[in-house]
Amino acid sequence: MFGRMIRGTLFRQWKKMLMIAFTIALGASLASAMLSVMLDVGDKVNQELKTYGANITVVPKDASVLNDLYEVEGGSSGIYLREDELGKIKTIFWAFNIVDYAPFINVDAQLDDGSDVTVVGSWFNHHMDLPTGESLDAGVASMRSWWELEEGSWLDEQASGDSAMEAMVGTALAQKEGLKVGSTLNLKGSSADLSLKVKGIYDAGGEEDSQIYVPLNTAQSLADLDGKIDSIEVSALTTPDNELARKADKEGTSSLSVAQFETWYCTAYASSICYQIQEVITDSVASPVRQVANSEGEILNKTQLLMILITILSLIGAALGICNLVTASVMERSQEIGLMKAIGANNSAISLLVLTEIFITAIIGGFAGFFAGFGFAQIIGRSVFGSAITMRPMVIPIVAVLVVIVTLIGCIPAIRMMLRLRPTEVLHGK
Amino acid sequence: MSLLELKNVYKIYGELHALDDVSLKVEKGEWVSIMGPSGSGKSTMMNIIGCMDKPTKGEVLLDGVDISKESARNLTSIRRDKIGLIFQQFHLVNYLTAVENVMLAQYYHSLPDEKEALEALERVGLADRAKHLPSQLSGGEQQRVCVARALINYPEIILADEPTGNLDEANEEIVVDLFHKLHDEGTTLIVVTHDPEVAEVAQRTLVLRSGRLAKEVVNENFTGKIRFDNGNPIK
Amino acid sequence: MSKRRMFVKMITASLMRRRSRMIVALLSIAIGATILSGLISIYYDVPRQMGAEFRNYGANMIFTANDGSFTAADMNRGAADIDEENIVGIAPYRYENVRIHERPIVAAGTDPEGAKAASPYWNVEGEWFKNNGEILVGKNVAESFRIKVGDLLEVSYTPGAKSDDKEADSEATSQEDEVVLDNTAYLNVVGILDTGGSEEDYVYMTLADLETLTETSGRIDVAELSISATADELSSYADKINSTVPAIHASLVKRVTASEATVLTKLQALVLLVTIVVLALTMICVATTMTAVVAERRKEIGLRKAIGASDKSIIQEFMGESMLLGLLGGILGSVLGYVFAQEVSSSVFGSSISFRPLLVPVTILVSIAVTGISSLMPIRSATDVDPALVLKGE
Repeated sequence: MFGRMIRGTLFRQWKKMLMIAFTIALGASLASAMLSVMLDVGDKVNQELKTYGANITVVPKDASVLNDLYEVEGGSSGIYLREDELGKIKTIFWAFNIVDYAPFINVDAQLDDGSDVTVVGSWFNHHMDLPTGESLDAGVASMRSWWELEEGSWLDEQASGDSAMEAMVGTALAQKEGLKVGSTLNLKGSSADLSLKVKGIYDAGGEEDSQIYVPLNTAQSLADLDGKIDSIEVSALTTPDNELARKADKEGTSSLSVAQFETWYCTAYASSICYQIQEVITDSVASPVRQVANSEGEILNKTQLLMILITILSLIGAALGICNLVTASVMERSQEIGLMKAIGANNSAISLLVLTEIFITAIIGGFAGFFAGFGFAQIIGRSVFGSAITMRPMVIPIVAVLVVIVTLIGCIPAIRMMLRLRPTEVLHGK
Repeated sequence: MSLLELKNVYKIYGELHALDDVSLKVEKGEWVSIMGPSGSGKSTMMNIIGCMDKPTKGEVLLDGVDISKESARNLTSIRRDKIGLIFQQFHLVNYLTAVENVMLAQYYHSLPDEKEALEALERVGLADRAKHLPSQLSGGEQQRVCVARALINYPEIILADEPTGNLDEANEEIVVDLFHKLHDEGTTLIVVTHDPEVAEVAQRTLVLRSGRLAKEVVNENFTGKIRFDNGNPIK
Repeated sequence: MSKRRMFVKMITASLMRRRSRMIVALLSIAIGATILSGLISIYYDVPRQMGAEFRNYGANMIFTANDGSFTAADMNRGAADIDEENIVGIAPYRYENVRIHERPIVAAGTDPEGAKAASPYWNVEGEWFKNNGEILVGKNVAESFRIKVGDLLEVSYTPGAKSDDKEADSEATSQEDEVVLDNTAYLNVVGILDTGGSEEDYVYMTLADLETLTETSGRIDVAELSISATADELSSYADKINSTVPAIHASLVKRVTASEATVLTKLQALVLLVTIVVLALTMICVATTMTAVVAERRKEIGLRKAIGASDKSIIQEFMGESMLLGLLGGILGSVLGYVFAQEVSSSVFGSSISFRPLLVPVTILVSIAVTGISSLMPIRSATDVDPALVLKGE
């Protein structure tokens, strides 16, 4: 009989129940959309902030100081990192967070007119097949997103042509030397002379504008430095620093307890990623680029906080909306409930009936709303960041608990009113 | 000319003939009861006379005007001007006080006039309850507010649908007494009821059965005045 | 009593005497209006506030000399072309080769306050330098000379020495009694600088200290400016400065300006879309609540019709009531929304939000429109039904 009564309400009063389900669905979709976006916004904005370039640099141990102190000929210290170890960066604990990296080698060369020029060897869009089966295209093409191409195009390492004999030239140098796309550039290095074709001219708004960028091996062959690199720039997704990270930074990892160290090591702080890079690259010092790493942390924290507050506001809005409607719609049925009391239903039976009805409706509405909300989150993700918002399993219980609590709260005033109701009052038309 | 005349009125819902060729006349100042069991067509007839529904076939002449073909909009204004309605469920607006409920009818009719509304309440003996909300009034008092509301605009006809259906005996007497008073003042009364005691006090009782006019009883003993003695009407 | 007074009386009676129901409806409208005005305030303020956050990336414009060097006066003239409230920080730099422990090191003289504002990401162990006599040492320099915070550092400079000077260096060390005497300053190491960039190879002191050390003044090599403005505004500033101050060449730091433009656009789009989705859902929520509130009163509508109310007057009354609710909710929401936006702004960005007077009427109008439209449907459907049916049936 209980089941029949429930069915009766759900099917015969389907319009009203549909309205409740609809409102609950709206609330649930709002909650799940905002929660999904909020939980993912950190990753998404982090990705966007990669346009600022590397947030970690790796140099050989003691290189910079030696460089300064002894002024080694050619601006190089004679201490290098090894090119063959580059792949290892994608094998560290936080390998997944390393989105891009590129090696650099600076060599000096002379142009036809005898003027000195710095030639930088690097990756442009170096293709790597990772042991995990994934692949990655890394290099300056993506790490120098702020460069403006004045002429020509980016050097393409993967193209079928002879990319090793191509070069990109800074705009200042190009102007000075009258270089155009397609011009031939004769470089006289310490160990070899090369003729390169100018592939593109860039405007970087910095000292790179008077440099020449060539593929790594081309630069190495100019100075007989095969297999050697000066530095590596790494672009990694990092977690903003907190107390622990600052402590590790300031006092060194030895100041951490074993448990703290483990937490630190297993969190994607810029400093722990640096530590892990040092573990795999022989004789290297990896340090966070403060300009990028610190600012990133600030912006990430702020964006997340902003989204959290907006989420809270919309959750309150959704909760009140659901509460209101549930209250209003249960109160409306006072006559029916008075009748049930008159024919002998006790309070708990009535409460159970009403709660069951509302909850069946809430579950249906909540389900529909959850998926709709996830859809909204995808719309936001696609149109803002051009990528899908990851589905976080924790959104499901949060939304579920929210819907249940809110529905319950919405029922409380109505149920209290029903319990106080005297059947005679209702039936004798008030 | 009769105030109200129904000529061969039919109201048909699919297969069901709620009203089946009904003809009747009500003169000005008359007090007519309409009786009949549930489903006999009382409510349908009441709705048609009260300008809340239209017959499928036939003519309804109110004050010589055929209202059976009027638009819903015109029906509303005819109802406003000529009909005062009294309901079994009272139907007062629960957030307006007694006097405000009466004024509501004035408001829709012409202009609200508090003094006049209070006088109407005085006529039904509720002057001291004017500022009360319906929830603070007893059933009988609510029905008397309803009567005051029905007569405030001096309608041609007061149409009461089971006016005593929700009242106890004492209140029933008060309302019937009010009807006598109204009748004495020359108001035309049509009372739909299935309480024989209420029906009998009218000048004429029409009995409906399955949508047809089955019987017409004229109250020979109608004195025009009725006095209560120990709760029993003296005939 | 006039008709209008009765109209007002009825509406106020309905609002006052059905208090609990009306509060429920009002609350829902007010929350909707709060979300509306709060989110729109935030939407309009986020670019400004976020823009300020992006100044963490440091200088986005630099002044270089068109010819050798420029003076502080030139710098100030250049800076005068930029709206003052937009300048976050401006730091002049002069670079000289000095010697520390008899090794050549690049020393930069600057304005400590300006440098801190223009390069907020500099991480200093110890204290930031503030006064003359204090020095900030780059991490690499500190490591190679084992310099600690609190040390007194001897910094020497050979007057007349040119930029790269091994010879001057050896000359000075070997021939101490020569005519060219070193100027020496003893400076307090107050902090070690960690930036992850080339700044770690330098030492930083006040411009006055460097001028005393070198016995030359009024020379600046580079000025870094951190300006809170869009990329377009920045380039127009740069053009203006380049045309008005001949000694200076102003250029944008592409890395910072270009990236900021991309990221900020995304963030703005994010807040916009979130605002739209939240607003749309909230408004529908308000609409369903209003629909429920009005639908509840079908019977009353039927009664009013039965006692002679025309459809038009019923719609007028009920709409009047709903719109009054919308008005109240809108006013309440405008206030609460401003409070919310203020709260968000101060807890996220630590600054206050500007009050937008236009938002108040917009919020109120939208509230009225949403409540009005959402009540109109149930009112219409109730007036369409025969009053007899409404009064009879449940």
